[in-house]
Amino acid sequence: MINFSKIVERAVTGPLCSERDFDLEIFVPNLRNVLTKYDIKYDPQNPVPADDELADRVWAAAVEFLYKTGVYCLDTERLILFTRDEIEGAIETGPRGVVFGADKDAKAMPRRFPEDKKPPWCSVGAAGSPVSSEWYLLNLVRAYAENPLGDSITTPSLTKVDGQDVVAGSPIGVEGAIRTMILVREALRRAGRPGMPIVNAVATAVRSQEHIAGHHFGIRTTDALEIGTVHELKVDFDALNKVAYSLGAGSLIFAENGVILGGLSGGPAGVSVVTAAYNPVDLLIIRGAVQHPFPTHFDLKTTSTRDTIWARNLATQAITRNSTLPVNNCGYVGAGPMTKMAFYEYAAWVIGAVVCGGSIEAGGSARGTGVDYTSPMEPLFSSEVAHAVAGMSRKEANDIVTALLEKYEDKLHSPPIGKRYQECCDIVTGTPSKKFIELYREVRREMADQFGLRFPCTSPYL
Amino acid sequence: MPNESIFERLSAAIIAGDKDKLSVAIEDALREGVTLTDIIDRGLSSGMKEVGERFARYEVYLPEMMMAAEAWEHAMKVLEPKLLDAGVERKKMGRVVIGTVRSDIHSLGKNIVAAMLKMSGFEVFDLGIDVAASAFINKAQEVSADIIAASALMATTMPQQKNIIEYLKARGERDKYCILVGGGCTTQEWADNIGADGYGKTAGDAVALALKAVSHKEASR
Repeated sequence: MINFSKIVERAVTGPLCSERDFDLEIFVPNLRNVLTKYDIKYDPQNPVPADDELADRVWAAAVEFLYKTGVYCLDTERLILFTRDEIEGAIETGPRGVVFGADKDAKAMPRRFPEDKKPPWCSVGAAGSPVSSEWYLLNLVRAYAENPLGDSITTPSLTKVDGQDVVAGSPIGVEGAIRTMILVREALRRAGRPGMPIVNAVATAVRSQEHIAGHHFGIRTTDALEIGTVHELKVDFDALNKVAYSLGAGSLIFAENGVILGGLSGGPAGVSVVTAAYNPVDLLIIRGAVQHPFPTHFDLKTTSTRDTIWARNLATQAITRNSTLPVNNCGYVGAGPMTKMAFYEYAAWVIGAVVCGGSIEAGGSARGTGVDYTSPMEPLFSSEVAHAVAGMSRKEANDIVTALLEKYEDKLHSPPIGKRYQECCDIVTGTPSKKFIELYREVRREMADQFGLRFPCTSPYL
Repeated sequence: MPNESIFERLSAAIIAGDKDKLSVAIEDALREGVTLTDIIDRGLSSGMKEVGERFARYEVYLPEMMMAAEAWEHAMKVLEPKLLDAGVERKKMGRVVIGTVRSDIHSLGKNIVAAMLKMSGFEVFDLGIDVAASAFINKAQEVSADIIAASALMATTMPQQKNIIEYLKARGERDKYCILVGGGCTTQEWADNIGADGYGKTAGDAVALALKAVSHKEASR
């Protein structure tokens, strides 16, 4: 695989191009061309497609699209271009079986295939969801870690430090990142899993300096920094700085990309191709040990819509059948904690992601944006669903996901916001309220009765 | 009496975002003696309306919106001098300075809102991403904007929206512009707390908010 310094060299010497021309003269026509050439069309009747040949066409389209389009560097207004050989070389030589976590909490990230019986990796937590109190953050993370099916932690973001708003790029941002890391490490210690890997490392951090600061206060080389691109197929120096630092520090990287359905990629077919195209980008530019996609609906702001589920599932199959870089699917749902709808939404996208060969990261409720609208229950439930469906056929999963979508998709425009953390959990112990536990058990029973899911008996709330 | 097909061609070219076809259709329309007002209202605007409706139904997306908005601007560059020559005054919807706030590099929602505003007849000045509070205000002053629209995706960049309002207050210019906020983590409660004039939960809300803001501003003159 070409080295990172080559990427940086291309970012500063590649062909000049305005952002407008990249978007409308290169990205959009190239994408439209491959969608036509490879005959990729949205099929709303099958949110979990089961056509291997279609999945392989998506991969072929993605590789062709990427080498014809490149990646745009916002700071230099230049194109970072790759040859087909460089893309294929990255796939051939990318990282395999990377171990995350330390000591007894260490575990290898599995490469999974569609309908694979291997249990998926379950990253638990509300990735970047805003929480207003250090105490809530501590207890939330502790509860995440007390879920035995949780393989790694993804942390929420603090919105305030010592009563002050955390402002990205400011000294309070740096302090917020440091404070988050100290609290998360302490939470893991309290849960008895001090080596559990943190895979979005410094969620409160937005800028590279905050990542670096947080790194010095508790991030280990067995954790991962989460580094993302800009919509779509764009990077800036700040992202490249994070990569440069992580490579120097020997940190692992979760390479995130949330392709926006309704954005430059257009509809679900385009989203599937661009999500697959990010897989080699995540190797070549972000230097990731895992791809971390979350295709999101531009208007409804969730990953649980029928079209984003279809796009994710198809892209996941395309990637897992053709690339060695594992996929850890991240997701956000519309409804908030302590609502049935949130459980249904999680189940729908998690089932698809797992049977298509991916792993999961779950916990961002209420679109991941409502302050304190988060709880430990959704990541717990999601990890149980993920384990319950490992090895299930895509056809069976398609029937279940279709039935789940019917339960909630008409409510996605105005989903129930649910309860804040402090309303649905005991803020001293961090335990969900009795009513919340009853609701969780009820949904588990419903899923078992209606769909025959056999949940693991590992829950702390049974 | 011009036949319907010329309006259909104008509308179709806007929907396709095809500037070349649009130029030819405008030339043909002018040759046929179609009035400037009819070209705009029955041809171009009807195409823009159709794109907006398709977008609302999730049938077309950002690329189609951006291309239609560019085609509209292309057409208006040709037609506006002719309107001036003919002494025809068209009502401007208003001027909007838009951007993503300081330290935030998420542009997509902002781009959708900018395209929708352009398609609704607003003159839009897009400052891009990572925009300082002062830059919003300086641009608004430079172009005599009616509205400043600030997008922020992250909880940690939302405070920058508040900065814009505080900056305006410090300059004694708070009432000069209507401030609209939106983006991932923002809420109506947040907008109320910081004293914004409007909050858009979705991109579709932005146009209605902007129209309301402009009419309110005109009424208070």
